[in-house]
Amino acid sequence: MAVLPSDPIAAGQLGALIPPPMARRRRASWVRSLDVYIPGGFLLLLVLACFVWPVVYPVPQPVGGSILDASLGIGAPGHLLGTDTVGNDILARLLYGGRVSFEVAAATQVVGGVVGTMIGIVSTYLGGIAEAVVMRLLDVLLAIPAFILALTLLEGLGQGELNIIWALSIFFIPAFARLARAATLSLKEQTFVVAAHLTGTKRWRSIMRHIVPNVAPGLLTFALLNAGVAIIIEATLSFFGYGIPPPGPSWGNMIADGQQVMSTQPRLILVPSILLLVTVIALNTLGDGLRARWGVQ
Amino acid sequence: MSAVLAPSPTNLEAPAGDEHIGKWASFVASPSLRLTGRRLLQAIPVLWGVTFLTYLFLNLLPGDAASQLLGANATPAEVHQLEIKLHLNEPFLTRYWHWFTGVLSGNLGASLANGQSVSSILGQRLPVTFELVVVSVVVTMLIAVPMATLAARKPRGIFDRVTTILSMGGISIAQFVFALLLVLLFSDIWNVLPALGWTPLSQSIGQNARYLVLPVMTIAIPLAMFVARLLRADLIEQMDSQEYIVTARAKGLSRWAQLTRHALRNSMLGIVTIFGLQVALLFGLTVIVEEIFGLPGVGQALLTAVNDRDAPLLEGIVLVLAGIVVLVNLLIDVTYGVLDPRIRHGRSSV
Amino acid sequence: MVDGLQLDGAAGAPRGGTMTAARDGRGGGGPLLEVTDLHVRFRQRGRQVFAVNGLTYKIAASSTLAIIGESGSGKTVASRAIMGLLPVTAEVTGSVRYAGRELVGAKERDLRRLRTNDIAMVFQNPERSLNPTMRIGPQIAEAIRLHMDLGRKAAHERTVDLLRRVRLPSPERRYFEYPHQLSGGMRQRVMIALALSCQPKVLIADEATTALDVTTQAQIMDLLLELQAELGMALILISHDMGLAASYTEEVIVMYAGRAVEHAATKELFSNVRMPYTRALLDAIPRVDAPSHTVLPMIEGRPPDLSIRLPGCSFAPRCPDVQDDCRQAIPTLTELEDGHEFACFHPCGGGNG
Repeated sequence: MAVLPSDPIAAGQLGALIPPPMARRRRASWVRSLDVYIPGGFLLLLVLACFVWPVVYPVPQPVGGSILDASLGIGAPGHLLGTDTVGNDILARLLYGGRVSFEVAAATQVVGGVVGTMIGIVSTYLGGIAEAVVMRLLDVLLAIPAFILALTLLEGLGQGELNIIWALSIFFIPAFARLARAATLSLKEQTFVVAAHLTGTKRWRSIMRHIVPNVAPGLLTFALLNAGVAIIIEATLSFFGYGIPPPGPSWGNMIADGQQVMSTQPRLILVPSILLLVTVIALNTLGDGLRARWGVQ
Repeated sequence: MSAVLAPSPTNLEAPAGDEHIGKWASFVASPSLRLTGRRLLQAIPVLWGVTFLTYLFLNLLPGDAASQLLGANATPAEVHQLEIKLHLNEPFLTRYWHWFTGVLSGNLGASLANGQSVSSILGQRLPVTFELVVVSVVVTMLIAVPMATLAARKPRGIFDRVTTILSMGGISIAQFVFALLLVLLFSDIWNVLPALGWTPLSQSIGQNARYLVLPVMTIAIPLAMFVARLLRADLIEQMDSQEYIVTARAKGLSRWAQLTRHALRNSMLGIVTIFGLQVALLFGLTVIVEEIFGLPGVGQALLTAVNDRDAPLLEGIVLVLAGIVVLVNLLIDVTYGVLDPRIRHGRSSV
Repeated sequence: MVDGLQLDGAAGAPRGGTMTAARDGRGGGGPLLEVTDLHVRFRQRGRQVFAVNGLTYKIAASSTLAIIGESGSGKTVASRAIMGLLPVTAEVTGSVRYAGRELVGAKERDLRRLRTNDIAMVFQNPERSLNPTMRIGPQIAEAIRLHMDLGRKAAHERTVDLLRRVRLPSPERRYFEYPHQLSGGMRQRVMIALALSCQPKVLIADEATTALDVTTQAQIMDLLLELQAELGMALILISHDMGLAASYTEEVIVMYAGRAVEHAATKELFSNVRMPYTRALLDAIPRVDAPSHTVLPMIEGRPPDLSIRLPGCSFAPRCPDVQDDCRQAIPTLTELEDGHEFACFHPCGGGNG
């Protein structure tokens, strides 16, 4: 037989001795949101710089510089960041190259995202043969490595920003479609969607009203992460000479040019490389931050 | 298939002899074999789709292969001759059928650039790419697994924070930039490793290794950061929420032992799947790496084919690489069944 | 199975170390495990949850104790706190003494040596408490090799013996099976074998039979009791099931909102219920002899919100006999009758109970 506790100081009384709930110093909400504000703010500034700065405060043209102005250092008159080996203004090339990066990123995500999401949602919602065929088709696209698919398409389409956008959009379709499909599958059986169906809501209407808004946050953060991938692929294609035809401004082209003089003028390769890295980090951090904030996956 | 069967991690403790025969018999009759069969059947239309799509991309798009090949000063007659020879004047579907039946009989055609058969070019170059990919995957795991496990040992500790930062850098850096950085450091500044060139494994293992270091680092380090990030998250999630981890704690295991003996084992299934999804990416990376470091692999041949508008070679390479991607994913589906006892024994999980 | 395995014989000497002195030392004399004024609170994102608020009890070797309460009453948290198994967000204060050693605030290293070796636990859900990707035998052998100076082969043999001891059919073969190949009852037998693997002095069974069907429940309970008696362990049975406590234990603690509200020998408690909460719990059990379609009495109101600390009795908002003073001061658990403690200002009448 166990010994019965006979201590009168039992529950309750000593409980009062525990310090009252301390007014815990809660971190202000803006501190906790820094993982969204810092990368978001940086990206906003960069986009503004690329698209607005050349309009309101003229910078030299990014191409067609004079060889007489070649290899000027930082702070040279008229050339804030100096010039490259053929005399083009580095700042101008960075800003115009940034335009290309952001345009490619935004356009591929909009085209790939809208088309892919629609394919994913509609085929899953319809089910049956349509779903099976679409899924196999996406498997086919996913089997071809992205970079190789882009190269192969560009070989046929020819170089240029618009063609890069088409080639990359096709690559992003299957990823979006799969994600939208997974989200739709779980939503399809949920009460509010079934209820909408039972009350005679038209299919298309219930897709737009119930499914799209529910998969949107996941797709948006996914698009942010993909935007980084798109920027990297564009830079890589340009670096190898399959993207923006040189001497057109693109961070990839700038890195390729800088590679020639890597040891003597490291600035030419470092500046665009770092900008590329930081931009992609910002996109990934923003995507992660929003994902945590919205509780996606 | 028996090769796939053998390396079940816990088999070591199983008694030898008829126990294994019993297992083999139950595997043959098990749902995982049916699963394998279904996956195989699904892979066939995908592979066919790849042949059609690559052919479509390369042939419906503008571009005049014949005149391109012959150069600017070819006469129309010469161009016409070549077009007949290459069946370029026939309708698309006829040409596709021609090529497709060739592929089925193992004939990928000949390179337009030098007339060499596409299969023999692939035969020379695939080993280089394979070596690069396999070594890179091994190195990736060797970096990622210890890194993630150490990070998960003390979440929010210093090592974990460093890992988080490195991972973010690793998944954000463009591989060609990372390659240039490595060349700058190891070849230009410290001058310890060659930036360009290749010696086959069959000639000299040491030289081969020297030429392999930078290409492998270019692929493995960023990929390892990516894998470590996912693995860390998965490990910590398990440590926080799985009841078998509480059991492991109640046994008196240290956190390190809980991680390595219990959590890691369950994460490996997920890691295998991740690699399945990354095979395509890996082949894309080999193009970049082979071009930058001058490795005579498939990726380099692909870029050459793009430059020469060498359609048969390009089609052959894309087809073979995509085929490998499909097969590897098939293999991973099967391995998954072998690795996960719940699937192997055909019971639904929790 | 024939001749009840001599666990001690197979074990060999337990691994040396500070804790082992406790193994033989006390046992007979004072309490083996002594929990005094145990408090556990969780802090998450600035929110606090007061899960255990001053729990006190003792248990001697070879005795049985039931801790009864609804889910959320703190019984599981309190038992995990003993072994230091709570997540880092938990703040544990008070004292837990095992064979004279203080466990609250002890180093993780020392606690690890104690777990399974001295204090072991059988968990509620055997399905999720076993690693799904690992064969069951090695999961037990792992614990044995950790705490006992046994080689691979000896650990294997001991594991098979243990599996036989918990009456798992064909233990040699089952050793190599995965958890999902076993039925729920068999899995719980494996969990018991694991808990007993190093011959603990205290066994905590946390809702060990809740996930099982009624027939299996009885089998598992009989097995636990049999082993408890044979090995001289102290058994703490944690459950929400009054019937289980009544039939299998010598002593009962009823918990509500992280506090013990009634504590007595099982016979005394069930024949003379004093705390209205215990009364309400007992009334909520369907009775075989009641006329059919009798409406079961329910406990009014909601289970307590543990993030709020009431100035008075935490059962007051739901208590049928509540009076003003109940809301103003917390009644302490006091031995108001011989061998019967309860925390209530206005206990239900004695008598028929």
